[in-house]
Amino acid sequence: MTSLALVTACTKSEDDSGKNTSGATQDDAGQQVASPSTDSGPTCTVDAYGGGKLDLKGATVGFSQSEKEANPFRIAETASIKAEAQKRGIKLLTANAQSQFSKQISDVQDLIAKGANLLVIAPLNSDGWEPVLRAASAKHIPIVTIDRKINATACKDYVSFIGSDFVQQGQRAADQMIEATGGKGEIAILLGAAGNNVTTERTKGFEDRIKEKAPGLKIVFRQTGEFAREKGQSVTENLIQSKPGITGIYAENDEMGLGAVNALKGAGKKPGDVKIVTIDGTRNAVQAIVDGWIYGVIESNPRFGPLAFQTLDTFTQGGKVGQDIVIQDSSYAKGNAQTDLGKAY
Amino acid sequence: MADLALARGTLDRARLLRLLQEYGVYAGVAVLLLFNFAFTPYFLSTENFRTQAVQVAPVLVVALGMALAIGTEGVDLSVGSVMALSTSLLSLYLGYGPWIAALIAVLGGIVVGVANGALVAFVGVQPIVATLALMVAGRGLALVLLPQLKDVRDPGMAALGSGDVLGVPYLVLIAAALALLVAFVVRRTTFGRQVLAIGDSRPAARLAGLPVSRVLVVVYVCSGALAAVAGILATARLSASDPTSLGTLMELSAITAVVVGGTPLSGGRVRIGGTVAGAVLIQLLTTTLIKHDLPPSWTQIAQAVVIVLAVYAARERGRR
Repeated sequence: MTSLALVTACTKSEDDSGKNTSGATQDDAGQQVASPSTDSGPTCTVDAYGGGKLDLKGATVGFSQSEKEANPFRIAETASIKAEAQKRGIKLLTANAQSQFSKQISDVQDLIAKGANLLVIAPLNSDGWEPVLRAASAKHIPIVTIDRKINATACKDYVSFIGSDFVQQGQRAADQMIEATGGKGEIAILLGAAGNNVTTERTKGFEDRIKEKAPGLKIVFRQTGEFAREKGQSVTENLIQSKPGITGIYAENDEMGLGAVNALKGAGKKPGDVKIVTIDGTRNAVQAIVDGWIYGVIESNPRFGPLAFQTLDTFTQGGKVGQDIVIQDSSYAKGNAQTDLGKAY
Repeated sequence: MADLALARGTLDRARLLRLLQEYGVYAGVAVLLLFNFAFTPYFLSTENFRTQAVQVAPVLVVALGMALAIGTEGVDLSVGSVMALSTSLLSLYLGYGPWIAALIAVLGGIVVGVANGALVAFVGVQPIVATLALMVAGRGLALVLLPQLKDVRDPGMAALGSGDVLGVPYLVLIAAALALLVAFVVRRTTFGRQVLAIGDSRPAARLAGLPVSRVLVVVYVCSGALAAVAGILATARLSASDPTSLGTLMELSAITAVVVGGTPLSGGRVRIGGTVAGAVLIQLLTTTLIKHDLPPSWTQIAQAVVIVLAVYAARERGRR
């Protein structure tokens, strides 16, 4: 510990005087519900779920985060939950599974043991939740899962799922790509990590929409950049050499898109030579739109705090809440990138 | 099958295997190059060779240190984490200028190397266990120091990442210079001889009065320092410090390059030329599959095939 203190004592990074760029200090563009409204689609109430009403004010909420807060999405997500809990004056217990599923299971069990009346879970995996769900339903603890779904019965094992529609994100990215290229030419996809539902759904939405709306746009290259900037860069370097005529690149997250920008810069291309469309909405990517390197960014909003607590509030007071709450993601393009830069995370 | 072949002509077979082990990696590189000349559009361009050389540079630098460690019948699993630690330190100290930041990053690598070396040489821990401990600790420390990706805007680092001398990128020049230096050390210095002697037989080296512990510590320090340099090079190329993903699985790439290059895991022999060719072979293999847009899982399978071939050749040598 002393050696660590020594190491960090006299550090001086590039922008020590600069502004804090982490998620907590920005204007919180809270999420809006896209579908369903509480009138349509399956809903859930306290009576159907079991257990009694309670007042959120005096309750203890447990939050289990799946991955370490090392990327902008997770940082903004945790910050949003914490900020909303503080705003509402609710006692919040948090745990982070550090990308280990076994740890997440024991995290949630710990949260229950520490007296959490309600749970908000950002699941690492969709499967393997039985032990936790059994423990929770024995105590009638309402569970809301955010950003990823768990494979269980809504309104029986958990109350609701709040998250983005990844297929739709892919479709909207395709729309932007068609707009950027005029529906003609050859394009490449930088896939996310293999075996991940985010990757499959963002790919499916994009490819289907391109096939349906712009048959003149050919997808000639599909390689994984594993959601990392370095991999996105080295794959794109190879891409632009073997296929110099490429007109567009669809990156399934911002980091790979920024790697592609690096590669294009290195190859002496000019901003706008190759149209890049990405998904996430991090500050760096939106800044790249302002600079002209990225054509458009589809947002994947990580600010689950307000909506998650609102859902729990309605539910615990006996109201109806949707089982599948799909959030409205905005998007960034040349027109709004500059003005909305503050909304990016 | 093997017995049958052995019965037919042990001598020819042994010679063939030795040739395969000595020159197989160069043949592999040649075959891949010829294939790409023939079938990959736009492969024959200076831009392409430049890209391939720049991409292979960090792996190669790490593999040089790994070759030394393997030469002593050890291994260094902490190299990927040292790269992450190096990029974190670099980012934290960049305010003092790129030279000082780079120096501190390399110092970090040396400290990890000293810890590795001390565990192996003085405590007597198996290298695979000792360096595994520092692999876990190093990545953890890197993330404590710098929890998330941070952009690097320093002009000096940008020049290192994309600048060149007479068309040869700095990254490639540095990697080539380090490869020559390590090759010289292994072949022409007392230290190099001591490394090989220890790898052949540690008890014999000790009986012969060689400073076994000191040499082992220096070997792991070299490996740590080289990994830190690779971390700096990779950071300059990416123009960002990304301790979460930088260097992940780098230890495996480096071991692959060394083993494919004909350095036996049993120690006592270090082939720097082969290591360079091994790194280039893996790079070309990956590139070929990417350029032909084959599924990424194929790359892993192809790498596995190459490793199995290399290990097969090495096994026969060990038996003789």
